[in-house]
Amino acid sequence: MPVLRLFIHLPQIMAATALFCLMVMTFADVVLRSVFNAPIEVSADMTRVLMAITVFSVLPVMSAKGAHISVDLLESTIKRFNLMRLSDVLVSLFCGAILILPAKRVFDLAERSRSYGDVMEYLGIPLFYIGWFISVMTAITALALIFRGVVLIFRPSMSEILK
Amino acid sequence: MTEALIGFFAVLILVLIRVPIAFAMGFVGMIGFMLETSFRASISMVARLIIDTAQDYGLSVVPLFILMGLFVNKGGISRELYAASNAFLGHLRGGLAMATIVACGGFSAISGSSLATAATMAKVAMPEMRRFKYEDSLSTASIAAGGTLGILIPPSVILVIYGLLTETSIGKLFIAGVVPGILGILLYLCAVRFSVWRKPEAGPAGPKSSWSERNTALRNVWAVLLLFFLVIGGLYGLFDFHPLNLSFSPTEAAGMGAMGAFLIALARRRLSFRDTYEVLLETATTAAGLFAVLIGAWIFSNFVNMAGLPNALRDLVTTYNLEPWQVMAVILLIYIILGCVFESLSMLLLTVPIFFPLVTSLGYDPVWFGIIVVVVTEISLITPPVGLNVFVLKGVVGNVTTATVFRGVTPFWLVDIIRLALLLTFPALALYLPAQM
Repeated sequence: MPVLRLFIHLPQIMAATALFCLMVMTFADVVLRSVFNAPIEVSADMTRVLMAITVFSVLPVMSAKGAHISVDLLESTIKRFNLMRLSDVLVSLFCGAILILPAKRVFDLAERSRSYGDVMEYLGIPLFYIGWFISVMTAITALALIFRGVVLIFRPSMSEILK
Repeated sequence: MTEALIGFFAVLILVLIRVPIAFAMGFVGMIGFMLETSFRASISMVARLIIDTAQDYGLSVVPLFILMGLFVNKGGISRELYAASNAFLGHLRGGLAMATIVACGGFSAISGSSLATAATMAKVAMPEMRRFKYEDSLSTASIAAGGTLGILIPPSVILVIYGLLTETSIGKLFIAGVVPGILGILLYLCAVRFSVWRKPEAGPAGPKSSWSERNTALRNVWAVLLLFFLVIGGLYGLFDFHPLNLSFSPTEAAGMGAMGAFLIALARRRLSFRDTYEVLLETATTAAGLFAVLIGAWIFSNFVNMAGLPNALRDLVTTYNLEPWQVMAVILLIYIILGCVFESLSMLLLTVPIFFPLVTSLGYDPVWFGIIVVVVTEISLITPPVGLNVFVLKGVVGNVTTATVFRGVTPFWLVDIIRLALLLTFPALALYLPAQM
């Protein structure tokens, strides 16, 4: 499924690029500031944008893979009763469901900030772009989690792609 | 207070049935906050936290420090650190185990994670110790214990998370971890000596290295040691003099460290384009997981505060006329008990929102408490039945039983308790250096 593959890889490439830029920029900022006394003015704003891109780009894929930090204290017990799949399904659906309302509210807040005309201090970029991005990615994360749950119910053979 | 306690147990139950911590804390926090205020206010609080966390400048230290550790690791430093400490200590009885401890300490100076330190060093040190017929109990125990240093010696992911949760200076926390970290290394060395004193055949001496061999081994690690010195020194303000004027915020220190590690790995030709991409992606994924967990913990902590838990706990202390040290003793006991079953990050996330306000109101220093929490967490990493480092080690090494590791770990566990006692009695061990900043 090339479309699915694109969906998985594109955001990951975005995240890796943003993170690399963040590293190089932080380094350049310190060097320019201390050696040439010429800091990168927009670096603080850039850091925030790059961070949001890095983290929220990979969130849907890592959620779909079930890579969130969790406690596996009772895992062997759950396995013994053959309930792993059931618990995976329920947990994924539950996590997806509780993200829907916050995602929608993030969008509302972004819209509000658009109506106020808020912009970033140095970059001048309107803040609502970032708000939109975060809300869309949170919504996709919710869908990805629900997708994971549904796949695990109906097509457990397909769950290979979720690894 | 009842609401908050119910909330706490609800989180515990959700977490135990394998709901990711971020979602368990976020969900309970959201519902609890809703009951205390209103539906609208609660969803807004959550949405606001998601937006703010995503673009928090201070949080950028998380991915940058993780990146530094992964790049240095790609450069093959674990093997070289081990070779270097081995060249100096290998000829002593128990020397390879002592070298393992020192190399773990060195690796912790770049890596922020105990599990990563234990897993990486196990791959390098275990075959070597087997070759010299070290007993499995001593070799695995020295790796498991040495690995715990990862979260105390800066940079440390756990300290970063603690700093972010409690708004304590990450720079000060890092500097405060230095002396207790070195103390940890020294005490672990004593533990190795004690083990081979009791049972000399557990750790036979290896061949002595010549000085030229020692020099070669040192040459391989100097770049990384310099990088550590630059990052932590810059954070401490060591280079803040004319004409250098180099002083770093934690984010800048992390950025310099990551870039430096990237350049070192590149110069050693150990980094392909594909490796770089994989490291970046792994970092982003780990960071996303940590961000999710932080958002969840903040939501929960907003609820706990709204429900008035900190005040209720303070009232409890006043009603029963408890001395600060008694409260601290109870808290530490709770940590050690929780640590027997919980993994370090989850334990920190669950407990800090509850204990931190109480501890600071009793007049304890937030930096000191951070170090104490980390040391207790370290102990929990090697405490049965769920010493996580022990399990990581078993996964990497394979043919050794958990019982063997736990048996060997006992002396290390005991010196950990001594270190904790020292830090409790002499807070200056942690606080002297950051006070000079």
